[in-house]
Amino acid sequence: MRESLARALTESQAREAAVYLLGNVPGLPPIAQSLHILGIAVVMASIVMVDLKFLGLAVPSQNVSEMIHRLMPWTWWALLLNAVTGLLFVVARPNRYFFNPVVGWKFSMLVPAVALAFVVHRLSTREAGYWERSSGRRLSARVIAAVSLVLWIGVVLAGRWIAYSDYLFFYE
Amino acid sequence: MPFAEFWTWLEGLPLAEHIGFTWWFPFLESIHVLAIAFLVGSILMVDLRLLGLAALSYAASRVTRELIPWTWGAFSVAVVTGAGMFMTRAATYIEHPPFQVKLVLLLLAGVNMALFQFRTFRDIEAWDNAAGTPVAARVAGATSLLLWAGVVLAGRWIGHTI
Repeated sequence: MRESLARALTESQAREAAVYLLGNVPGLPPIAQSLHILGIAVVMASIVMVDLKFLGLAVPSQNVSEMIHRLMPWTWWALLLNAVTGLLFVVARPNRYFFNPVVGWKFSMLVPAVALAFVVHRLSTREAGYWERSSGRRLSARVIAAVSLVLWIGVVLAGRWIAYSDYLFFYE
Repeated sequence: MPFAEFWTWLEGLPLAEHIGFTWWFPFLESIHVLAIAFLVGSILMVDLRLLGLAALSYAASRVTRELIPWTWGAFSVAVVTGAGMFMTRAATYIEHPPFQVKLVLLLLAGVNMALFQFRTFRDIEAWDNAAGTPVAARVAGATSLLLWAGVVLAGRWIGHTI
């Protein structure tokens, strides 16, 4: 399935368009990558900050339910921005990404990180103060936050290593 | 270039060669990106408060005081990892225009922060819990956002041109 998807993309007009844009719009590659990094900065300022709050490490005077309500929409917009800026590069060179093990690591951390963010946001939206209601929920929130924090750090590190994967595996 | 011998000496250090020829360089670079993302994220939260666009239910001074230590922590990590990468090709980087632009933008961001700290922040009690923020605070917030976005862009530009 991965092979056929990569082949379909390679032969598609979307790939031609992406290659054309990246090669002909002055400065587009670094600009798109900078937007991608700014998107990550927004993830840090939203879900990661909520994680740090759950763990009792940051912004002591802020209320966690209010934070979730205020910050989580930013997470979803940032992830949308990063999907667009990231796909530009994937579509331009499908084989480089589809068969790169580091991309596999990145997404096997990104998918659960996004799922946890969704759970945190969804339950808090459905019932205000959900994560503060009982000691059991407070404990779950801390466990989720610790896992989420580690996953987001892993996503960013793996993301940067995608470009180095040739180097990484040549040295094995 | 001033201190030309110094930059060349820096490149010749065993540590610089070790970083340049091993997995240390990508390792430092990935930590650098992580630190910058966190740094810009924490600054974004402060700047949006200064702009009067977010977190208005909290005093501006509290938002700032609780986030700035994180900003400085991330900044320190970015400086250490950045210096590690810089020393591998110091003489080249120091003459490289995008690198110079990045340093100037960083300097301007520092000046903007100092001006805010020593002028606008002084009378913060007058507007700490107000519905809006004064023009000086909004200018500082907007300037900071633009400068840091520029720092990120210049940094990425270095990677494409060196």
